Amino acid sequence: MTLLSKTFTVFGSILLAHACYSAREHTALQSPRVVTAAALSSSPAAGSVSLPVDIIIETIVSTVLIITGLVLGTKPLRPLEWRVWAGKIEREGAEGFTDGSGKVDRDYVGNPFSVLESRPNFVDIRRQRREFAEWSRQKEKFLQQGQ
Amino acid sequence: MAAERELQIAPLVQESLVHNTRTLNNLHSLTASLLGVAAGILGLESLAGFAFYISFSLLAAVLFYVLRVAPSSLPAGKSLGDTSRYFRRGGGFEFWTGGLMGGLAGFVLTWTLFYGLVRA
Repeated sequence: MTLLSKTFTVFGSILLAHACYSAREHTALQSPRVVTAAALSSSPAAGSVSLPVDIIIETIVSTVLIITGLVLGTKPLRPLEWRVWAGKIEREGAEGFTDGSGKVDRDYVGNPFSVLESRPNFVDIRRQRREFAEWSRQKEKFLQQGQ
Repeated sequence: MAAERELQIAPLVQESLVHNTRTLNNLHSLTASLLGVAAGILGLESLAGFAFYISFSLLAAVLFYVLRVAPSSLPAGKSLGDTSRYFRRGGGFEFWTGGLMGGLAGFVLTWTLFYGLVRA
């Protein structure tokens, strides 16, 4: 979650909680008066309690705010086509596959052909052994000279 | 046959499809619970509540498209409203309305809960 999405979500939640509390208070205060008015006028329509417009607006605005925050907080999508996806890996590497807070996703696999690109089967092991023998011989000579 | 050949020429990454679908489903289930809270506060009843749910779920899908899909799919040459960069080709209907059924239970749960809390 980025800072922007958190701000949207928290602010929307506060507004929504306030709207909920206001609606609760409104019905609690309004219902006895409506009952008496309905008893006096005996019209069926007076029985329903309608919310004030400002609470309705507050609820809808807070809902839209929270939805925006949630959408902004979703993980970035990954390209579906193989060529687009592989191109993104080549160009951006692990940075292209982070969640909102900049951490690399746990299921990031990297280059799918990395096995082919560094083939341990094709390492020239004899040459490496020769080089190592050379190096160890030089080391020995150096140590003997030191003594 | 044509679709199969198309898939052989331009293969898809299954992990990406799973990841994207899961992201969208998470968003929709969260949104559905939130919409239930709002519908309960507004005191909606019967068809009005479901109309509220459908319209705001579609709004969430549109917001998701505008904020998440469009910024990278429009420069890639996809037309407006085309989600095939991230979701299955020809699954446009699934993208826009796929979360409706999955989130319905959560919606009704929080709707009745908050209706009872506010009005009881």
